[in-house]
Amino acid sequence: MFDMIVSQAMNGLVLGFLYVLIAVGLSIIFGMLGVVNFAHGAFFATGAYLALMLSREFGWAAALLAPIITGLIGILVEVVLIRRLYGKEPLLGLVLTFALALFAEAILRLIFGAAPLPFSPPKFLSGFVEYGPILITKYRIVVLAVTVFALIAFWALLEYTPFGRIIRAGSRDAEMVGLLGINLPVVLSSVFGVGCLLAGLAGMLAGPLWTVNPSMAAAAIMPAFVIVTIGGIGSYAGAIIAGILVGIVTAMTVQFYPDWSSAAMYILMAIILLVRPRGLFGERWERFE
Amino acid sequence: MPSNSSRRVSKINRRTLISGVGGLALVHATGSKFGMPHIGSAAASDPIKIGMIYAKTGAVADQAEYMAQGSMLALELRNNSLLGRQAEVIWLDESTPQTAQQNAERLIGEHKVVGIVGGSLSSSALAVSAVVKKAKLPFVAPNAAAIDLTGRLCNKYTFRLQPPVDVHTRVLAPYCAGLGKKWYLITAAYAVGQDIKRSFTEFSAANGGTIVGSDEVPINTADFSSFILKIRAAKPDVVVGGVPGSDISTFLKQWNELGMKGKIPFAEIAVGATDLWGVGPEAADGLFTLNWYYKNPNNPPAEQAMAASYEQKYKRPAADKAWMGWMAMNALLDSIEVAKTTEPGAIVNALENWGVQRGNIKAGYRGFDHQMVNSLLVVGIKPKISDKWDYFDILAETPSTHAEIETVFGTEAQSVCKMDTL
Repeated sequence: MFDMIVSQAMNGLVLGFLYVLIAVGLSIIFGMLGVVNFAHGAFFATGAYLALMLSREFGWAAALLAPIITGLIGILVEVVLIRRLYGKEPLLGLVLTFALALFAEAILRLIFGAAPLPFSPPKFLSGFVEYGPILITKYRIVVLAVTVFALIAFWALLEYTPFGRIIRAGSRDAEMVGLLGINLPVVLSSVFGVGCLLAGLAGMLAGPLWTVNPSMAAAAIMPAFVIVTIGGIGSYAGAIIAGILVGIVTAMTVQFYPDWSSAAMYILMAIILLVRPRGLFGERWERFE
Repeated sequence: MPSNSSRRVSKINRRTLISGVGGLALVHATGSKFGMPHIGSAAASDPIKIGMIYAKTGAVADQAEYMAQGSMLALELRNNSLLGRQAEVIWLDESTPQTAQQNAERLIGEHKVVGIVGGSLSSSALAVSAVVKKAKLPFVAPNAAAIDLTGRLCNKYTFRLQPPVDVHTRVLAPYCAGLGKKWYLITAAYAVGQDIKRSFTEFSAANGGTIVGSDEVPINTADFSSFILKIRAAKPDVVVGGVPGSDISTFLKQWNELGMKGKIPFAEIAVGATDLWGVGPEAADGLFTLNWYYKNPNNPPAEQAMAASYEQKYKRPAADKAWMGWMAMNALLDSIEVAKTTEPGAIVNALENWGVQRGNIKAGYRGFDHQMVNSLLVVGIKPKISDKWDYFDILAETPSTHAEIETVFGTEAQSVCKMDTL
C-alpha cells in the first residue's frame, strides 16, 4: 500500500503542476487587471489546437510557437475588449468573458469540428521511467520541468525586473503608476498577454495527454478557479501551493475513495475557505475592498 | 439623493449598455449559427417540423454532431418533404438533462413539432422520454443505452435504437471471458456506467469470474493516470470500460502513455468510431461492440447509399453515430408517411410496425417495450492502421438470426417494461 501511496503522490504532483500552469495565468490576470477571466479555458484550448496544427504541419518544434501566438491573441483581445472593463462593474467582466468563452468554443468547433483530434507526444518522449513504486512517463517529466521553469521565469520577471515592479505597483494602485508617467495600458496588455501565454503553454503541454476537442476548456477552467480560490485570489505563490495540493488530494482520493474523486477538490476548497476565507495566501487588497 | 444601487447603475451609460447588449446578441447569433446549421425558421407554420435534441457541447458533442448530420440527411434525401408538404428540422441542445427536458418542452409547446429524435446521453433521453409521455408525442432515441429507457421507465411514445447495456454485455462479455477471468471495471458515474458495472459484474459472477477492482469516474475526467496506476497494481486479465464519448479517447491515450497498451486487454461496449478516431493510431486499442461500420460488406444497399451521400456531403466517412441518427430519423419519417398523418397515435402505431431487412433479420421496434432488435458488431483494432478512418476489424456480427435475437435481447416475459396505452 505504501508503494501505491508514493506512486499516486508523485502522479498527483505532476498533475498538480499542470493545473498550476493553467491557474497561474488566471490568477495574475485577476490580480493585476481585476478581471475574472472566464475565457481563460478558451486560451488553454487555443494553445492545444495551435500546437496540434503546428506540429502536424511543421513538426513538434514548431508547436513551441503555440503559446506565443496564444499570448498575441490574448493581447489583441485585451486591446479590443478587455480594457473597456477596467474600473467598471465586475459583473460586466464576467458576462463579457463568459460570452467570449462560448464564442471561442463555437469558433473552434466551426474550424476543427466537434470530434476529438489525435495528438500524441513526440516520439522521442514516448515511454516511461520506473523507479521503485514510481512510474512516470518521460513526457510528464518534461511537462513538470517546463512548468517549473516557466513558473520560476515568471516569478523572476515579477521580482527582479523594472517591468515586474511596474506590474506589481500597477496591480495595487494603477492611478499612481499612471501619474508617474508610465504607459499603463501597454503594461496591462502585456500582463493579459502573458496570462494567455501561460494558458496556451498549458494547452500545448496538456494536448497530448488529454483529448483535444472544443470542449476541453471546460476540463481546465474549473480546477483553475478552485486553485485560484484556495491559493488566495491574485496570489502567485498561493496558486502554486494550491495546484500541488489539488493534484495530490485528487490522486489520493482516486486511490482510496474513487467515487469522491471529482468532488475532492471542491471539498478541499470548502474546508480551506471555512478556516481562511481569503484562501491560503490571500491578502487584503485595497482596490478589491 | 440617488441610492447606492442607482449610482452603480448610472455608471453603465446608454452607449455601453447598447454596445454590451449588441455584442451579446452578436455572440448569441453567431454562436447559434455555428452550432445549429440547417435550422429552419421557427416562425413558419406551414412546414412539418421534426424536433432534434442533440448535444452541441460537452463530452458527447462530437458523437452528437454525427447523429445530427445523419438525422438531417434522412430528411434531405427525401427532398425535405413529408406527406407532400415541406418539412424541416429544429435542433436544440441537451447540455444537461434539465436542458434536454426544457428543450423538449420548447419543441413541443413553442415549435409544435410532430416528433422528436435525439438524446445523445441516456440521462437526457430519460428526461425527454418523461416529457413526451406527458405530451403524447413520438420520440426516437438513437444513442441512449440505459436499460430503464425501454425497461422500467418505458412508455408508449418512446422508441429506442441503441441496444441497452445488458444486450451489449451479452455480446461482448463472452469475448472478455475468453481473455481471462479477473476483470477490472472502470465506468462512468452516471446511468449507463452504472448499468455496465452491474451487468458485467452479474455476468462475471454467473460465469465464475472475479472482479478485482471497480472504479466509477466522473464524466469529463481529464486525467485518468491515477486510475490507471490502480489498475496496473491490481493486475487484472481484462479491463472493462464504461466511459462515454471523448472520455474514452482520453483514457486510451493515457493508457498507451503509461505503457499499458498491449499488456492488459481493454474492452468496452457501445463505443463510437469517432471516439477511436480521436485517440489516434498509436494509442488505439481494445475490443468493442459497435452498432454499424461503414466498411462492413454486409451493409444493405440503402445504408451503402446513405454512407456514400454522407461522405459526398461531409467529406468524411459516415461514422456509426451518423448511421444511428439516420436510422432513427428514417424510422420516424417512414412512420409519418405510412400513417399518412401527423397524429401522434397513428405515428406510434406505424413505428411499432416499422422495420427494415438487414441480412437475415428484420430490424424493428418490439411492440412490448419499443426496443429495436438488430445485429451488433464485435470489433477489434486493426494491428496496423494505415487509413485514418479505418480502425476496425469486424470479428463477429451477432445476433444474425431471429432465434438468436431472443437469446441476446431477452423475451417479452423477461422484460420489466409495463407498456402503457395511447
